[in-house]
Amino acid sequence: MYKRSGLHGYPRGKPLCKSISERYPDTGQIIAMIYFDNSATTRVFDEAASVAVSYMREGYFNPSAAYSPAVSVEREVNLARGRLASFFRADPSELIFTSGGTESNNIALSGTLAQRRDKCRIITTAVEHPSVYEPVNALKSSGYDVVIVDVDELGRVDASALEAALTDNTGFVSIMHVNNEVGAINDINALYTLVKSRAPGAVFHSDGVQAFLKLPAVRCDMYSFSGHKLHAPKGVGGLFVKRGVKFAGGQMGGGQENNLRSGTTNVPSIMALDTAAGLYMKHHGEYMAAMRDVKLRLYNNLTRINDVVLNGPSPEEGASYILNMSFLGVRGEVLLNSLSEKGLLVSTGSACAARHRGKNRILTAMGIKDARQDGAIRFSFSPENTVDEADKAAQMIEDSLSVLRRFRRR
Amino acid sequence: MERVILVRYTEIHLKGLNRPFFEQKLIENIRHALKGIPSRVEREQGRIYIVGIPESDFEEAIERLKAVFGIHSISPAYAVDKDWETVTKTAFELMEKQVEKKPDLSFKVFARRSDKHYFMNSDGINRELGHLVLERFPSVHVDIHKPEVSLCVEIREKAYIYAEEIPCAKGMPVGSSGRATLLISGGIDSPVAGYFMAKRGIVLSAVHFYSYPYTSERARDKVVELTRLLSRFAGRIRLHLVPFTDIQMKIHEECPSKETTVIMRRLMMKIAQRLAEGEGAKALITGEALGQVASQTLESLCTTDDAVTMPVLRPLIGFDKDDIMDWARKIGTYETSILPFEDCCTVFVPKHPVTKPEVADIRASEALVDFTELIENAIENTEVLTVKYEDPKLI
Repeated sequence: MYKRSGLHGYPRGKPLCKSISERYPDTGQIIAMIYFDNSATTRVFDEAASVAVSYMREGYFNPSAAYSPAVSVEREVNLARGRLASFFRADPSELIFTSGGTESNNIALSGTLAQRRDKCRIITTAVEHPSVYEPVNALKSSGYDVVIVDVDELGRVDASALEAALTDNTGFVSIMHVNNEVGAINDINALYTLVKSRAPGAVFHSDGVQAFLKLPAVRCDMYSFSGHKLHAPKGVGGLFVKRGVKFAGGQMGGGQENNLRSGTTNVPSIMALDTAAGLYMKHHGEYMAAMRDVKLRLYNNLTRINDVVLNGPSPEEGASYILNMSFLGVRGEVLLNSLSEKGLLVSTGSACAARHRGKNRILTAMGIKDARQDGAIRFSFSPENTVDEADKAAQMIEDSLSVLRRFRRR
Repeated sequence: MERVILVRYTEIHLKGLNRPFFEQKLIENIRHALKGIPSRVEREQGRIYIVGIPESDFEEAIERLKAVFGIHSISPAYAVDKDWETVTKTAFELMEKQVEKKPDLSFKVFARRSDKHYFMNSDGINRELGHLVLERFPSVHVDIHKPEVSLCVEIREKAYIYAEEIPCAKGMPVGSSGRATLLISGGIDSPVAGYFMAKRGIVLSAVHFYSYPYTSERARDKVVELTRLLSRFAGRIRLHLVPFTDIQMKIHEECPSKETTVIMRRLMMKIAQRLAEGEGAKALITGEALGQVASQTLESLCTTDDAVTMPVLRPLIGFDKDDIMDWARKIGTYETSILPFEDCCTVFVPKHPVTKPEVADIRASEALVDFTELIENAIENTEVLTVKYEDPKLI
């Protein structure tokens, strides 16, 4: 192995987020870590982690097996399915467990198209997550009529543009509930009504990965969600498919999940998701208020700094747990590195895009370009964040900016 | 019947009295490359034989040998008893594989014997075995000038029979030409430059300058990974990671904007030379190609050379960018080089850099600022890693 000495005092090769603040043995220094990247992923709730462990060590049986311990595990999974389905006021049979948001979004599309013979029209928006945007675009080359609908300058889908795009042969419409980069909220109920009135044959899907359990349930034919945005482990999520919607399912094999998504049931993660979701439902008001307070506090602190611009909807209008701001005169990536050195972890956009350089598709679609796009930072919160952290974070940002802004390109 | 690998080497033949030294280096490097694969390396009369390789590792051994500098080509061969019956039987087996691929191939038999007591001389073997092959495989024909398959028979203490020659990396054994220090940036060129110098027998060490937070931590991992890929050919490489942010900021603040790049490169060279001296390296290596960018004009190269006393080796100086990219693909560094975590230090790059700097002007600008302490600091805080090909892949 390499010698793992620090890059600017940060020990390398060891997990950073063991606890919110940690004393590093090599330096003795306490680095308080502030994690404001909860739209990328969240820290698993203690309770959820213990439940997962208990289903790994005790209730580890394959629920498809015939003996009695397996049957009781199957029962537990189905009870969990019922509790999650209740959020949609749905029947448990309308909820399929998957490996997460990407799989749910992928099979929503492919499983719908598999039931149609025609090369129908497919509509989505310019700001969708790559797990919707890429598969939809890939269908262009196989002859599907793909229409990408624009968004307004706040990142919400343009309803009139959507209306104009709807045709009789529209087979699939996918519109995200909450945008992952700027927190814009689409009025899915109204859009659903619109789509059903203009294109009754279309299946309406919504990517709810950033909204599930945080915002009220909405009307739609399909809805995707993911566990790890809600303090459950990575690798588990689900797809709600309304009864009567023609859906061919996803991966094939042993016939699990009502023969719609085969694969050994991921019991520990499903049960942890159930636990985390239970906590979210129980403490919903409290959690939402906590995140809103942190967001508003950070927003107010940051607006006091020069040349800082808000991207997306106003703090009250947008999702109360996502804040996107541009710091003019610095590159977001540089600011991010500098903040990470101080212990504040944020992102420049979707983590799914951190490895690709070039333009930010979402901000571009919103008409945000040049210096404002370059300097964009996304802050995303969890109920574990505090107002005190928002104050500290703002101070760190101010400190970093005062250094970085001295070195603009000449 | 044992399968062995016969290794032919390149220019070592040219060496006079130093030849044992080169051969010894090559054998060391072969042993190192085959680490983990059971095998014995034997030297005999201008050839190296690798014996005792388990059948399951044979392909892997061939792959590894392809990356050893100093090897001209290798042939997987059968080592058998040299009675005539066994020799012909083995030759038939080899030919059968070739005929399966192409029934109407042309061939010739190429025999050599160092065992002069063998009952037939080389020419006799050629004719007799050629005749038997033609009888056995009526679809093939003989072409002694440009055969598609050379069926080689070497009669030594055993008979070595082979029909395939696999070209290898050529060059000189790494370690036969001393040590030099490569400035590695994370781009496409520098790993290729390192490859070419290692190919001439140089032991590499490497220096990378990073500008956190202007470059990301992944950019650093990328350089470690590039170094690891290079060590497939060059053997283990000592990599120096030099913190360069403070120096860059100082240059940016106090030097004329259009000269910042040239001055930055001079300071990099100075630091690299200090680190090189510290480990007995005799030269610096860069991936510069003449005229590629502003800092690679002849004038700019003169000003960077002026900053150091060591010779600066630039193996890519006459290459086109396309050719460098081809080589990067060939040696397997290209895909890593084009990963995007690199040039966010563009914040430091002037819009209009000077393309024809005068040495005297640049010296004068540089003298305006005292960099001594910053340089000492950077060297003191340099992190050193030893990178080898067996290391885990970081990105």
